[in-house]
Amino acid sequence: MSSAPSNIPETKMLPGGPASPSASVPQSAPTTLEVLPARTPARQLHELPKDELKTLAEEFGLDPSRLQSPQHLVAALHERRQLIASMDREALLDIIKWARRPVPLNASKEQLAQEIVRIRSMRFDGLSQRGLVALAKLRSISVIENDAVPILVKKLRKQEGFFARLNRRRRSMLGTLVSNIIGEDEKSSDYQFLPPQDADAEAPKATPPRPATIKEEIEESGLFGGIAGRIKKSADTYVNQKLDEIEARIDRKLDEIDRRLGEWRDKEIANRIRILKITLWASVIVGVVSLLYSYIVHLISLWRS
Amino acid sequence: MPDIDFFAFFRFWLATIVTIYASVITLQSFRSWYFWLAGNDKYSSLLRRYLLVHGLRLRFKTFWGDVLICGLLCIAFFIIWHAQIVLNDANDTLKSSKTDTTHVQRAVQHS
Repeated sequence: MSSAPSNIPETKMLPGGPASPSASVPQSAPTTLEVLPARTPARQLHELPKDELKTLAEEFGLDPSRLQSPQHLVAALHERRQLIASMDREALLDIIKWARRPVPLNASKEQLAQEIVRIRSMRFDGLSQRGLVALAKLRSISVIENDAVPILVKKLRKQEGFFARLNRRRRSMLGTLVSNIIGEDEKSSDYQFLPPQDADAEAPKATPPRPATIKEEIEESGLFGGIAGRIKKSADTYVNQKLDEIEARIDRKLDEIDRRLGEWRDKEIANRIRILKITLWASVIVGVVSLLYSYIVHLISLWRS
Repeated sequence: MPDIDFFAFFRFWLATIVTIYASVITLQSFRSWYFWLAGNDKYSSLLRRYLLVHGLRLRFKTFWGDVLICGLLCIAFFIIWHAQIVLNDANDTLKSSKTDTTHVQRAVQHS
């Protein structure tokens, strides 16, 4: 997951309804006001240096090369945030499910949008109409809410550009080739969200979503990028698995040490009490013998007198 | 001739020496434990807490029989001690009455 922007709470001032002329929400859609925790922003947008503004703009799917001055960047970011705040959350979740991105169910709209702007896929099969509208808006395409699916797809494809499309086709072919060589099967499973953020540890954990196939990865990131990503994922999985095993082994060892210490403690205390008991028995026996001796002496003196 | 009870003599000195020895050993042990656990470093603090946790996790049911027997033996020991004191008092009274009777008889003979 990407890290949260430095000044998220700005969006809490914005209503859930339509905010910009290009992003009108249908009247029938229920307006949900998101309650965000009251936090004071660390820094305002205009206080940020230019390079941080550019990074933030990229995170929100804006092209910083087209926005030269910091004022333009701030204005564009503000407008983008208004746009995201006015979007339907369900539409954003539709895109996340369609792209199978690992996102918790309770992620904020901004987090969802930041994840969506990283999606480069141009295969729109399975994406709902509202999802297509939201995706088009986040890719800075002018669309109308009631646009039909084919029109939306056409606009999205048109925005890609000739050379980009050509490159994608080339990568797709390469991906198919590599996928055939490797022999990867494309079994699909239902999408599942990541566990909610700040959730209890006892909450049932959802399984992570199906990872993208090698073909899809090569199509999105290129041959080397896709293969490198796949190797990195495999290495990460292996390292995580090994770390889990080591952690489990350490836990078992600690439990064993604790159990042995407990046993040693019980045995030690039992021994000490046994020694104390033997000492007390000896003291009592000696005391009784002494008392008997004194009694006999007393009887003798009585008899003599 | 002084009336010395050798058994009482042996018993008194044995009890005294053994009590002093056991007290010194116990106090030495407490002192060394105290200095070992009183450290300010994080490991000593960790050890203190660990010992506390182990103390809290101690299962009394495992030792309750032996502890009960120890308590009863302590009570029996103090009862025997008290009986010994009572018997000694009786002996002293008997001796003093015997001495008084002898004195009276001598006084009567002189008169």
